[in-house]
Amino acid sequence: MSEMQTSETQTGPFDPQTQPFVEQDIPRRRVTPLSVVIFLGVFGLLIVLGLQLIEANRSQPNSGPAPDFTLHVFENMDADAYLFGDAFTLSEHRGKVIVVNFWASWCGPCRSEAPALQRVWEAYQDRGDVVLLGVDYVDNTEDALGYIREFGITYPNGPDLGTRISDAYRIQGVPETFVVGKDGNVFQFIYAGVTARDLASIIDRALAE
Amino acid sequence: MLVELGIITTVLALVLAWYAVLAGLYGAQTRRDRWVLSARNAALLTWPLLTVASLALIISQINGDFQIEYVWSTTERAADLFFKITALWGGQAGSLLFWSWLMSTFAAGALILNWRSERRLMPYVIVFSMATLGFFLILNVLVESPFARFWQTANGEVVTAVFQPVGTFPAIPQDGRGLNPLLRHPGMVIHPPTLYLGYVGMVIPWAFAMAALASGELSTSWIRATRRWTLVAWLFLSLGLILGGRWAYDVLGWGGYWGWDPVENAALLPWLTGTAFLHSVMIQEKKGMLKVWNMALVIISFILVILGTFSTRSGIVSSVHSFAQSPIGPPMFVFLALASVVSIGLWLYRWQRGELASEHHLEGWLSRESLFILNNMVFMAITVAVFWGSYAPIFTELFIGEKITLGPPYFNSVTAPLFGALFILMGLAPLSAWGHTSLSRMGRAMLWPFLAAVGLVAILLIFGMRDVGALLAFGLAGFAGFVTLYEIWRGVKARAQREAWAVAAWKLFGRNRRRYGGYLIHLGVVVIGIGVIGSTIFQQETQRTLAEGQSLTLGRYTMIYDRLERAQATDGRVMTIANVEVYDGSQLVAVLRPRQDFFPNAQDMNTMTIAGSYSTIENDFYVLLVAWEEISQASATFKVYLNPLVNLVWWGGLLLMLGTAVAAWPDQDRQRQRVTRRIEAGEHGSPART
Repeated sequence: MSEMQTSETQTGPFDPQTQPFVEQDIPRRRVTPLSVVIFLGVFGLLIVLGLQLIEANRSQPNSGPAPDFTLHVFENMDADAYLFGDAFTLSEHRGKVIVVNFWASWCGPCRSEAPALQRVWEAYQDRGDVVLLGVDYVDNTEDALGYIREFGITYPNGPDLGTRISDAYRIQGVPETFVVGKDGNVFQFIYAGVTARDLASIIDRALAE
Repeated sequence: MLVELGIITTVLALVLAWYAVLAGLYGAQTRRDRWVLSARNAALLTWPLLTVASLALIISQINGDFQIEYVWSTTERAADLFFKITALWGGQAGSLLFWSWLMSTFAAGALILNWRSERRLMPYVIVFSMATLGFFLILNVLVESPFARFWQTANGEVVTAVFQPVGTFPAIPQDGRGLNPLLRHPGMVIHPPTLYLGYVGMVIPWAFAMAALASGELSTSWIRATRRWTLVAWLFLSLGLILGGRWAYDVLGWGGYWGWDPVENAALLPWLTGTAFLHSVMIQEKKGMLKVWNMALVIISFILVILGTFSTRSGIVSSVHSFAQSPIGPPMFVFLALASVVSIGLWLYRWQRGELASEHHLEGWLSRESLFILNNMVFMAITVAVFWGSYAPIFTELFIGEKITLGPPYFNSVTAPLFGALFILMGLAPLSAWGHTSLSRMGRAMLWPFLAAVGLVAILLIFGMRDVGALLAFGLAGFAGFVTLYEIWRGVKARAQREAWAVAAWKLFGRNRRRYGGYLIHLGVVVIGIGVIGSTIFQQETQRTLAEGQSLTLGRYTMIYDRLERAQATDGRVMTIANVEVYDGSQLVAVLRPRQDFFPNAQDMNTMTIAGSYSTIENDFYVLLVAWEEISQASATFKVYLNPLVNLVWWGGLLLMLGTAVAAWPDQDRQRQRVTRRIEAGEHGSPART
């Protein structure tokens, strides 16, 4: 709104009858600081958006070493769900197939896939060489725990503190799922929701490798 | 054949659009009218060409020509004819073509309807509208062609290309993949086109504003054409927002209609600045003030439209609207940058030269002008708050290395007081006069509406409402509503001394369409506001797992879970339907069938939670089926909401539409003028005067 007021103080009132303007009547003005500020602001916004675009266009890792991370597992879950204590570090579990699922309690598609993930976990949890991990992306703890309880999720879940893990995996939204093979490389990246059958067949292939 | 026709017509439209840009520019610079006329004809021709292209795609969809990747990805044999047609906007490439077609329709409309009255602006209107269309057609032809087809190479690999690559033969899939399940809903069929109409519609006011800036024809005539086109765009934007809300409420299954999602915000932002413009433009018309500001609002609205399209389609903000990753991000960004720099550059240039100076000063602090300026400040504050809320993750990640996402609590707490301020202004402004109003006159004018609002709050208190925020909110909305009703009543009463009431009301609205249309819009907003207040503050929810025959109670209602059914629809979806009886006291009022649809063939979003809802004016008893016992089917989990007054949101929306239609209806005397002009032109054989 400040532009508006400046325009009024800069120029005095004049008779509407003199309209329309004749070009040579208008004194040419120098570039004012305000217009420089406006232009710099616009450029600044564009640069930020451009950087973000570059970031968004770097796609999720589909192969190669899976970025390492440490996940701090939610604490007040059912005691049986505790497999790894309160910190899980990816690189310490080389030799297992690890499914890393990014989710959030506010995300609709996550809700649709949550029962499938739990079913897959129930089928594989006794083998010992398959781990399912839920990484909770920008969420509040209370809602997240409510979500875990709502779907009766028993595999370890933890918050993505400071969005470090999701940044490392360059996710674009939730849900996204990465299956990490026994060799520590990304075996498969799954964009959007999964079904129990598809996920199980991917895990089986990863185990067979 | 059809595919080739589609490709040829789109490419021709692309060529013609850019030709129109160049010819229009050349004609305007050298003042050669023949070039301007040629540019106009080229611009008009894009419409039939794009119509043919769109029809070619629609017919391919109906025929099930699955060699076309787009047809394969959005339709399937079993789909209803209706969904085969609307698949035109069921995916990215098709919706780009549809966007271009709408853009061309609007441009043709502006060129035909405003050709005579805004003749001097027309060359640049062609340039700016066709540059926008030309850009979208580049996307259509080069980046995401809806006519790309599948081809099979000799070693069995399937590739996608517009033209047949050497050494390949056509690959024709047996059946298509089908439309995204979430889009198979009547609301979703109408919601995108209306939103597109709103978005595309904003291009026309921008083109007029840019034409005024580029040509230096800055006398107020550009504002007339701009206002009406903005009103049209605003109507569709409002409709799109409301339908989107309805769709979310019916299909998305989270109990609400508005979630402050980045995609929703992207549509809300230009709506906010457009609303601000529709108010402040009146000051320019009446007083010749705020020219710099109005120009800025038109430009900002357009940039927000492009920014919204860019950010939701390029994946720079994550959203529950999971749009697939798409290659149009970088070119959209280039267009956004160019459009911003050119628009703002031209605007600053004219402003610096003093060509946008005001003709009057503010006369009194208590006047309609000053109240409208306050209104604009509040709208801009909401715009900034919503903008920041939507884009905060980007900025925080860049500057502090952490993505901070602002959720509904942020938006609700920041915008609620601002919307409250808008209701106060909505109450005061209609009572104020242009120039200057005295405090005592304002006081006298608002006495009755104010007392009525106080009475409303008193009644709510007596009926046991103790929530201070809610009382205040209902009081403010009530005040704005009563003022509007009072103003309408005063107008009708003045006429009713001579005529019957109904006739008086009809004529009053007919004679002062802008004013009374505006009042109807205000009433619509008040009704929506009451609905939003009720359903936000007083929403109740519960979640429970019920065995067959068990019940749960929420508010006045009791629901009994009867049984679960499975069914399969013709499009392959598996529906799990719960039968639920709803009792109001001991009276059976409804049998609801909340369900979950599962689409075995669909790719990502494969489940849809459709609520069952018992709806009265007072509230909605809204039931979601969340989970069930897979094998025995004996128990099921429900999430149940009681949403008070939520229906007012939809009814208020209808009122708002009606008001906008009244306000935007062409004036009779303008039609009369056009007729006289035509006679003049015919008799003297000279061009009409403007």
